Formats: sequence, structure tokens, C-alpha cells
Amino acid sequence: MNPIPLPPSDKSPLVFLELLYKLRVRDVMSEHLFSLPRSATMRELQLLMAEKRITGVPVVENRRLYGIVTIENLIRAYDQGAIEAPVSDFMTTAVVTVEEDMPLSIVMSYFAKYDYGRFPVLSVDNEPIGIITARSLSTRLLLELFKAVADLEAKLPPPPPVSSTCYFKTFRVQKSDFEHAGSAATEIKNTLAARGIPPPIIRRVAIAAYELEINLVVHSDGGTLTFRADEDDIQLIAKDTGPGIADISKAMQEGFTTANDWVKALGFGAGMGLPNAKRVSDHFHIASQLGVGTTVTIRDELPKK
Amino acid sequence: MTLSELWHATDATTLWTTPEADAVPCANVVASDLMSDVLMTDEDCPLLVTSLVSDQSIRTAHVVGAVGVLIVNGKLPPPEMAKLAETLHIPLARTALSKFRACVALGKALAR
Repeated sequence: MNPIPLPPSDKSPLVFLELLYKLRVRDVMSEHLFSLPRSATMRELQLLMAEKRITGVPVVENRRLYGIVTIENLIRAYDQGAIEAPVSDFMTTAVVTVEEDMPLSIVMSYFAKYDYGRFPVLSVDNEPIGIITARSLSTRLLLELFKAVADLEAKLPPPPPVSSTCYFKTFRVQKSDFEHAGSAATEIKNTLAARGIPPPIIRRVAIAAYELEINLVVHSDGGTLTFRADEDDIQLIAKDTGPGIADISKAMQEGFTTANDWVKALGFGAGMGLPNAKRVSDHFHIASQLGVGTTVTIRDELPKK
Repeated sequence: MTLSELWHATDATTLWTTPEADAVPCANVVASDLMSDVLMTDEDCPLLVTSLVSDQSIRTAHVVGAVGVLIVNGKLPPPEMAKLAETLHIPLARTALSKFRACVALGKALAR
């Protein structure tokens, strides 16, 4: 398998293509070039590979590249019982090299074209000065991409001013997670208290949040509970990814439940969750589709200051 | 009547409380093992009486603004439940009385 599956296409994001043309081999290559002379033994190659944790070593003498020996060559030497033979007996002499000022776009196409994990880098004077591996390339590319994205983000217009009193948080609620059920409602209640919301409203919102959270734990395949508070109102949105409610009007009837005995033993599943959540909210909306999920939106208005 | 006096009326042993929390006045009681029912109550600052020994009793008490939780039937809450009571500052006590007898004792105490 080639470490870099495909050269970039014209459909790649522009910022990526620009990087591939802007960056040169010298920007990405490893300058720590570990090499061996032709007379070095395969045993020495093995020790160097183990010490430096590398899988391919160029064979260099007098600043001239003669070949490359890789782990495959080492295995072959072992097979033949020739571990003390010189690397020149096993090295590949038809070495594919890259030049230091080549753009990365060409190197990527090399990785796709040749089944090699590394390419020695030659200077303009044809001297080996480094090595480029799939790993060094991808690491550097990632770093450059992070930088490019950060530059792009810095150019984005500033976000519209948000009221300093606006609070927003989304809690993830797992299916059947009774251990943490209610922790979101607890946090919501504490947040509202810290914001100085009148206690009767805190109680209504906390009860609604708790009912919705328990519903997510008991009835859904998991979902989120989003809480937003500003100067005018408080909103709760419980959204799950299934299984959906077959008959919403039945689900809204007090006492109607599909909960099992296990849930009832934990003190819930009395069929009062949705009706109670509606009871304690100024605005209540529910939408559900079988196989898709359910969204309950609740809003409580705050008294005008 | 203070919470401390209600503990006394039901011969309860406190598992977690503070002197300040015990001094809080309490005039209402909600008794149920079904937290769904407790969440329906409109009682103001009630004492929650239940035999449900789980975190959900404490969380429900916190959500409805209960001043404390009394566990009946001599049940012993697990350590995590007492820990959560401490975290949420909900006084927690247990009594050997049944729920019915605890409610009778609380009713008599509150009527005095």
C-alpha cells in the first residue's frame, strides 16, 4: 500500500494546492542524513537502522550517492546468510531521487507512482543532502495546513457581538446512562441561580430540563440537551437521533408510558415526563419522526427588567 | 418547624447535613418513590420522603428545591448517594419507620 494514496487533484481545496506548489523539498526533507559507505556490512546496516529507527539508508561516498539499502534488502541478506556481506552487494542502484527545489506536488506524485517509502534528496550539485519520507512529508504538510487555516481564520470578519449576558451550552446525553442522568439539569439549575434568575423560574426550567434529560436516557438512542439563556428568555432543546415517537398525542397524555420495569424501579417511567415538561414551560414544541428522532423545544420567558 | 425538628420527629439518623441546613424552616412534605410524581409537585421547599435509594432522589430533590431527603424503611443509601447529597448540599437522613409511619409522624409534628 502506498503511504500517500493519490496525488492531489484539481478539485483539492485551493489552499492545499497553493501549499503544494509553494513548499519545496528542502522545506520538508530531513537533513539528518544517515548514510553508509559501500564497504559497510549488512550487519552495520541492521545496527544503524535499529539505533536510528529508520527503514532505509542511502549509500554515500565522497558526497556521491551510489544506491540505497532498505529493510527489504536486509531481509534478503538474512535469507541468504550474507549478513556480513557489504551493502554494495544488496543495494538498489537505480535510485529515484528528488531535487531540493522540487515543489511538493511533484514529490506527492512520486509517492503515488513509485512504491517507495523514501527518496534521497540531491542538491543542485547532485550531492545527497537529505531524505524525504512519507512521514516527514505528511507531518510538515499538516503543520503548514494548520498555519494556513489559522491565517484564513484570522482574515474572517469578526463574529457579531454577542450579549455578554447570553449563556449557551450543549450537554451530550447517552442512552441508558442513569449514572449521569440529571447532571445537566443540576448544572443548568446552578447556572440560573448564579445569573440571579427568580427561584420560581429556576424551578420550572430545572424540572423541564430534568424531564427532558431523563427522557433522552430512557427512551432515545442518545442525544443532546442544549440550554440557552439571555436577558429575555431561557430555551431548552432536547434532540435525539431516534427511534422517534409513533404517536405524539399519546406520548403527551398523562400516564401513557412505554418505559420498562427497570426504568420504573429507578423512579421514572410514569408517563408524566413530556406532560410535566409542557406544564412547566411557557412555550412547548415537539416534533418527531419514526426512525429519525425527536426534538423538543421549550422556552420560558423572563420578566422584563 | 426546622428540618432538625423533623429529623427528630421521625427518629432519623443524618447521613449528611450541616447545622445551617438543619436550621432551615420546612412546612411541606412530599412522599413518593416515583420521582416522576415528585417532579409534578408544586409544594414549596418540601422535605422529600422516599425509599428510593439512588442518585436520582438527590437530583430530584435538588431540582424541585427540596430542603432535605428522608430515606424510609431503614434503607441504607449507597455512599455515592451521600456524596452527591453533600455535593448538592441536600441534607440526607434515614429512618427505620415505614413511609406511612414517617408521614404520620411528620404530619403530627407539622400540626403542632
